Amino acid sequence: MNELIYNFAVWLDDTTYSAMLHESYYMYNWVESTHVLTLMVSLGMLFLIDLRMLGYAFPDVPASKIAERLNVPMLIGFTVMFVTGILLFYAVPVRSSQSVWFRIKMVLLVACAVNAFLFHKRMNESISTWDVEARAPDRIRFGAWLSLGFWSIVVICGRFIAYDWLDCVRDQPAFIEFLAGCLDGQTRF
Amino acid sequence: MFTSMLGPHARTILTASVVGITLVFYFTLMSDAYAWSFPFFEWMETTWFGVIGKTWGAAFAFVQTIHLLSLALLGGAVLAAEGRVLGFLLTDVSSKIVIDRCHVLLVWALVILISTGVFMACGVALKVYYLPVFWYKMLALGAGILFHFYVRRPLLKFDLEKINPMIVKMTALASILVWFMVAATGRWIGFSG
Repeated sequence: MNELIYNFAVWLDDTTYSAMLHESYYMYNWVESTHVLTLMVSLGMLFLIDLRMLGYAFPDVPASKIAERLNVPMLIGFTVMFVTGILLFYAVPVRSSQSVWFRIKMVLLVACAVNAFLFHKRMNESISTWDVEARAPDRIRFGAWLSLGFWSIVVICGRFIAYDWLDCVRDQPAFIEFLAGCLDGQTRF
Repeated sequence: MFTSMLGPHARTILTASVVGITLVFYFTLMSDAYAWSFPFFEWMETTWFGVIGKTWGAAFAFVQTIHLLSLALLGGAVLAAEGRVLGFLLTDVSSKIVIDRCHVLLVWALVILISTGVFMACGVALKVYYLPVFWYKMLALGAGILFHFYVRRPLLKFDLEKINPMIVKMTALASILVWFMVAATGRWIGFSG
């Protein structure tokens, strides 16, 4: 599996546009800046929704209104982050695919998506009974805490990708090499 | 007494004066202040924050993440409030409520942003001292705080129906732009040096 990922990443790395994007100082920085600054839209809206469920924001506004109205800008933000994230991966595919932080981030993104699906499902099933209450029921609040926790760790991992502490190019303990998917004799990092 | 002489727009006039003086200061006396502040930046690197920031890269990166998360909260609060004022978000909720609730979140986000920002600045004090974009960011941050607390907040405390809608919309737009400027200059620091 790791060999397959590595070979795919090397193939991507060999494409012209990957090299162009990576080597273009301004374009790469524009894409990275857009990825980071869109946090203000995507995570900003998500935080408002989660904090409403926890009773820390807009306690006097029906929860359904906050969730429904802020959902659209949040999804627009996440779409931009997704596209720019793919471009960032495309620009540095080998190192990214063998980054422990990147791998944890991807797993957590899946966890975030599953949590969001369950959160909305549970919310829609029961909202008529607690819509105007300042705090959502325990189950919904648990989902909101999970969402805040998962996304915070996603941001931490995203930030840590920039550091080379656990890169395959350095000597790593066997456990880290296993997590990162480092290959014996690999020539590209 | 002094403010009563300025009529009903005392805060706005005072804030405009402070911004004007700051800009004049920035473009005229800045070089002197730049030299005076050097020992302060040297001292910043010797503080606990500076030592921790320089010694443990992981601690620095972790604080950077908290900085980013609070930036996201600030962005959410600004966009929700200004989106309501501009009429494209939460339009079926009272604008007064949205503005007030978002203000609380913005203050919390700002407190965390500034606290973590001070820590980060201590870790790379001499680097940022020589970066023009760091000073642009400080200027943008100062302008943002002054604008929010002394122009936007007092203005939007009035009944919005009684204020010229154009002024209200321009204020909302200015608020989004000034906070975007703070975030963008912060990102720019990461690319410099």
